Amino acid sequence: MLKVKYFGILAEAVNQAEEEVSFDSGNLEVLVAQLKEKHSLEAHDFQIAVNRKIVSDLSAFKVKDSDEIAFLPAFAGG
Amino acid sequence: MDYSRQTILPQWGEAAQQKLRDSRILLVGAGGLGSAILPYLAAAGVGQLGIIDGDRIEASNLPRQVIYSESQIGSLKAEVASAYLKSRYSELSLVSYTSFLNETNASEIIRNFDLLIDATDDIATRYLIDEACLAAEIPWVYGSIHQFEGQVSVFNFNNGPTYRDLFPTQSRSAISCSEAGVLGPTVGLIGMLQANEALKIIAGFGTSLSGKLQIYNLLTNSQDIFEIEKKKESPSKEKSFRTELISIADAIQSQAILLDVRSFGELPEVSHKRYVQIPLAELADRWQNLDLERELVIFCQSGARSAQAAEILNGLGFRKIKVIKGGAKELAEKIDL
Repeated sequence: MLKVKYFGILAEAVNQAEEEVSFDSGNLEVLVAQLKEKHSLEAHDFQIAVNRKIVSDLSAFKVKDSDEIAFLPAFAGG
Repeated sequence: MDYSRQTILPQWGEAAQQKLRDSRILLVGAGGLGSAILPYLAAAGVGQLGIIDGDRIEASNLPRQVIYSESQIGSLKAEVASAYLKSRYSELSLVSYTSFLNETNASEIIRNFDLLIDATDDIATRYLIDEACLAAEIPWVYGSIHQFEGQVSVFNFNNGPTYRDLFPTQSRSAISCSEAGVLGPTVGLIGMLQANEALKIIAGFGTSLSGKLQIYNLLTNSQDIFEIEKKKESPSKEKSFRTELISIADAIQSQAILLDVRSFGELPEVSHKRYVQIPLAELADRWQNLDLERELVIFCQSGARSAQAAEILNGLGFRKIKVIKGGAKELAEKIDL
């Protein structure tokens, strides 16, 4: 199982700060697309981190079962 | 002033104190974060502080913007904050700017400072800060809030990543404190982390958050630090469109069309003789209804959609466009006054 964490407005949109997901294919872009659809996140912009490192090219990244994925939106308030 | 409790710190010492005395720091935004940052930097012995903010103090600011008081409601934040610090620290040099940081004034103001601290409450200004600091070759300390969570980072420091490296595209859904809600201690803590980063950068000790994004959650007391990648070809070097902000009071006084880009039926209703509504999703098809020569002031609920609408209209040849600082709720309240 992969651990997925959501921050800021995304935690609200998903209605939880983290979840565990089972995922067969190792491609990060596919995983993110699936979670985006599952939680209707199309209107949001965010960065993805794997094991606390932000990944810019999702399509070239293979995730392992033990990885921790984070959805990181920009915050606005101050 | 006796700084001995700082200078006896082995990492600080007289040398760091002197560096701080020689430093000039610009604070952009004298709101919640700014109210936490300013007193600590001033007390620590910063040589010069610049404060830029076009906002006036409102009653709803007081629960977290602790340097202001009830009798100052309606006064300009930059002026009041500056007077507050001046009355306490006689050696501190202060410069206040009572406009918002914008495309026109940014480079002129920023070139007078060695470090910038972002305490704004909107994302468009952060891209402007990012570009201007890159051009001026100074680092900046980022801080931002979403309810009980805060983000902190340091950008453009020692050739490290920029804000645009972290967030290449402007968020469409981020919301400000006035819409999302916030408690004082959240801005207090995040502001304190920012002040601490500023002191470390100026004095040159410790490890800064350059290349890292720290997220602190005050509901769970958890913190996460993420590594940011510096893009090889930084897109921030390309000149891109910037939204210019206008205060609600100035927008109402202007002769500009007040363009609402929210969807139909969103509350509160805004009623004004210069009011026009075209939802963001329909803008690409219905922009012909707008006069290219007439000044336009765009608003939505929080500012995120307004910034996108401004970018779309700019692409269509509109040049007299500004975005309201704030949202429909504050605008409706001011119109009713």
